[in-house]
Amino acid sequence: MFHAKRLQKELSKIHQGLPPGIHLVAANDFQEWQMDIEVLDENPLYHGKTYRLNFKFSSNYPIEAPEVMFIRATDRDIPMHPHIYSNGVICLDLLSSGNGWSPVQSVESVCMSIQSMLTGNTKNERPEGDDQFVLRTNRSLRNIRFVYDDPTV
Amino acid sequence: MKVKIKKWNAVASWRWDVPEDDVCGICRVQFDGTCPNCRFPGDDCPLLVGKCGHSFHLHCVNDWIQTESSRGLCPMCRQKFEFVAE
Repeated sequence: MFHAKRLQKELSKIHQGLPPGIHLVAANDFQEWQMDIEVLDENPLYHGKTYRLNFKFSSNYPIEAPEVMFIRATDRDIPMHPHIYSNGVICLDLLSSGNGWSPVQSVESVCMSIQSMLTGNTKNERPEGDDQFVLRTNRSLRNIRFVYDDPTV
Repeated sequence: MKVKIKKWNAVASWRWDVPEDDVCGICRVQFDGTCPNCRFPGDDCPLLVGKCGHSFHLHCVNDWIQTESSRGLCPMCRQKFEFVAE
């Protein structure tokens, strides 16, 4: 109940407008939404490309963080980034309950944080251990516990 | 002409002492409304003002503070959330 009312509020605000480079793709229910993001500066890694994020909300949102990852679709690939695995899993402290998540965050603020995470990146690489990680990530995203050890990215 | 008042009714209105269009950062409902689980604003669904200056519906911030992952911190500024006793 709580999460549906909160998401309805967010949706009304989204329909009034979103920051540049962030677009709503689908919000058909209060379980899962898709958003597109573009990097707006001239960063050669991402220039001219659009990426798709999938948001999954529990009934305890926004007390509990949403599960957010990049997904593949037509013309939508997984962006290269030292904190983004090739299966779309994002290692970002604010997406983790118990680390950086706060219930005043929103779909829009998360999109902006991920957009700026891409904007500031110059490394055309995947996280260390990407291959093994992707192989064993049949588990739910929630069970993944990242160690946030790199304050520079 | 003399008027004799036999009966009168008083009507009062109230607001929380916060800017009119301020919303609770957790549920995004205006402070003059209730948290999503309540029906009547006012004493049944009060506001809590943190010492850090950030306000929330009591019920909203309580849901957050009770989770282990909140570590007792204000959702806005991540300082320890302590409230001002009225």
